Amino acid sequence: MDNTAADTLIRTHLDFLRRHAPFDRMEADALRFLGERLATAFYPAESEILMPGDGAPNFFYIVHRGKVQARQTGGVAVTEYSTLTLGPGEGFPIGAISAGRPSTNGYLAVEDTYCFQLPAADFLKLQELSPSFQLFCTRYIASLLNQSREQLQVQFSQRAAEQQTMTTPLSGLISKSPVAVAPGLATRAALERMVEAGVGCLAVAGDDGKPVGVLTQSDILKRIVLPGFDLTRPIADVMTAPPHTLNANASAYDAALEMATHGVRHILVVDAEDTLKGVISERDLFALQRIGLRQIRSGIESAADVQALQRASRDIRQLALNLLAQGIGAEQLTQFISALNDALTRRIIELNLDRHDLYGVEYAWLAFGSEGRHEQTLSTDQDNGIIYVLPEWADKEPLKLRLLEFARDVNNDLAACGFPLCEGNIMASNPELCLTFDEWREKFGSWIREPHPEALLNATIFFDYRVLYGDEKLAYTLRHWLLSMTGGNPAFLKAMAANALDVSPPLGKIRDFVTDDDPRHPGTIDLKKFGARLFVDAARVLSLRAGVEATSTAQRLRQAGSRIGMPAEELSAMADGFHFIQLLRLRHQHLDTDHGSSGDNRVKPDDLNELDRRILKEAFRQARKIQLRLKLDYQI
Amino acid sequence: MNWLSRLLPGSGPTLDPALRSALEAIAALPAPDLSRSHYETRYVVVNTETGPMDGGGQRLLAVGAVAINKGLLHPGDAFQARLGSAPANAMAALLKFIAKAPLVVYNAPFNQGTLERAFENNLGSIPPLEWLDLMVLMPSLYPERIAGQARMDAWLGAFGIERLDHRDALLEALAVAQLHQVALARAKQQGLGSPRELLDAQSSRKWLRGS
Repeated sequence: MDNTAADTLIRTHLDFLRRHAPFDRMEADALRFLGERLATAFYPAESEILMPGDGAPNFFYIVHRGKVQARQTGGVAVTEYSTLTLGPGEGFPIGAISAGRPSTNGYLAVEDTYCFQLPAADFLKLQELSPSFQLFCTRYIASLLNQSREQLQVQFSQRAAEQQTMTTPLSGLISKSPVAVAPGLATRAALERMVEAGVGCLAVAGDDGKPVGVLTQSDILKRIVLPGFDLTRPIADVMTAPPHTLNANASAYDAALEMATHGVRHILVVDAEDTLKGVISERDLFALQRIGLRQIRSGIESAADVQALQRASRDIRQLALNLLAQGIGAEQLTQFISALNDALTRRIIELNLDRHDLYGVEYAWLAFGSEGRHEQTLSTDQDNGIIYVLPEWADKEPLKLRLLEFARDVNNDLAACGFPLCEGNIMASNPELCLTFDEWREKFGSWIREPHPEALLNATIFFDYRVLYGDEKLAYTLRHWLLSMTGGNPAFLKAMAANALDVSPPLGKIRDFVTDDDPRHPGTIDLKKFGARLFVDAARVLSLRAGVEATSTAQRLRQAGSRIGMPAEELSAMADGFHFIQLLRLRHQHLDTDHGSSGDNRVKPDDLNELDRRILKEAFRQARKIQLRLKLDYQI
Repeated sequence: MNWLSRLLPGSGPTLDPALRSALEAIAALPAPDLSRSHYETRYVVVNTETGPMDGGGQRLLAVGAVAINKGLLHPGDAFQARLGSAPANAMAALLKFIAKAPLVVYNAPFNQGTLERAFENNLGSIPPLEWLDLMVLMPSLYPERIAGQARMDAWLGAFGIERLDHRDALLEALAVAQLHQVALARAKQQGLGSPRELLDAQSSRKWLRGS
């Protein structure tokens, strides 16, 4: 082999590369490495360069001359991406080759094209050699995340528009079956039925189900109470007849018009056969208007009872959907949800303090787990506890009993407002979790001293605590003590790291994703267990090691990661990956709760569109990256 | 071995023993299977730099060569040499680089002629190599682009191939190599899938146009 000949040809490569980003900024050594390894291939116009069916790509391609088009090959066409054209200096497929999986795009030469080709193994080596190239690839992946987020926003605004505009058909607004009685029923019995069902409007319908009249709460005063109407007479004698009805296909706007025109607050909704289908109230139409953060907040703060808070809880869910529609990111969204849930919990606590006298007691209500991390999605059950100080003069048992009774009421009220009781009994009403400062310290300390599996599991839940109500100082002191214990305890951190590495990202070697083999949930991935938790657990280890007080995963990553010298770009790519998974979970839960079934975290990758699948893969790759960091740091 | 036998003492220039054993080693290499596809073949594209000879005509000054292996042009698989004061060594090194691969030139009468003369003068005989001439092949492969024989510049221009330095034998070979990649893509489409088929087509008057 003749070195001067090789040098000459390599120089032609370098001359080309230096004219194109990101190679123009590439470190000299790395550029030389690349220049030496690029081979040139020719692809005539209209020929395929790389197809998804080719399997994991063997080469990273850089267009030298000509034009290459990336085409979506999935069933779902994704905008922007369907016609991405690459010219000289542009490389592909960055995502696929980084992940070692088949490309989701097909790449075709649209003109006679020369490509430089770098073997896949050298592409990965180049990323190691060149921080600037790695940054470029990271940013590229991050841009995919952003695109997907934009797409989500479009989807949600459409969805929200459908739900919220006044063109919604009434059939979509009826939430429950109507309360109706027969016209011959005695008025007393009819009124009893109204009270029983808790409705403000009673429909009267014949045996055939066709409405013949209506009686509303406001009629009762004027027509029954004041005139002294005989309650044994049939309801038909006092009802409004005929009732105002609209077909189920009529819009919310039609209903608003009907109400305004006739000065009524209720409209009966019927189907094509005139059979009663439901009742629409003025309030239902109001609910269509955008629910604001401030209104909910003031609604919560002025709530006088649990019923009012239940309404607020429903409003929070509606707001979450609206915020998604406005394109807010998962981080802010979960923070909003978290802030409102905090306010809700505080109000429940305040209402209970009217009945439980805890005056003079130093205590704090703690949130654990996702609530402690400000990362609540919409189907999180309660995780809470109490920390208190036992005054010298007091007996422990009676005080603890008072706190437990108080906690039990709060737990039940929270359950009534849509936070299911915790199956694992991680609740303040559990005597094990209503502890003095010293008891908590002893509990935490024992987990750190003897990190057996159960202790580690506990640490993942309880170390993410946060004060929702009460004495912040107690929790603050505990936090500082905790960080001083963990920061200087490599054995414990290693055990936590090993625990965090227990579950790997569900990326397949052959298929894109490894889905659950549980026969009850075929083809699904649990995005909590196999997605969000990978980030959460790793970020926790970093924060305990670096002494970071924040409990939210993104903040932990950013603060702890930068303290231990991880590049900011890398950290934000990881945070983006985490948020994307959270966004998918939120979306999934929204769609599910809208259909009435309980929201879970099981997502079918096959149901995702092409782009989401791609991003999800990139997000899992970020999880793998942060896990790799733990593996290296702790030699696991 | 027949051509090597002519390198015996007395039949040409005297070769030193090291050179002779090097040539023997090259001759002993297995011949490539020319019936395999282009994309399993190693081609060597050669180009010459010449200067005027005392008695008229052109004399080989330098040679540049670039391999296309399995369709790919790799910078590490390239060769250049000036004949200078040790022309036999240069020509032997070229033979070693070629390693019996089919050769590609633009304008065989000139390049092949010059190289064969240099082999004969310096090594005592002409090695039996297979030659493809793009000047002949291109008009038949891409009749819609340029009908009839044309200068190399015309073909390079037609495919947007940069000509970096036409005085440099190696860079010139690089340009011809890129042209050969273009030729291979079309040859494959036309059912001429192997070097053997391309060589046969080249010698068939019926297939050739404009020659």
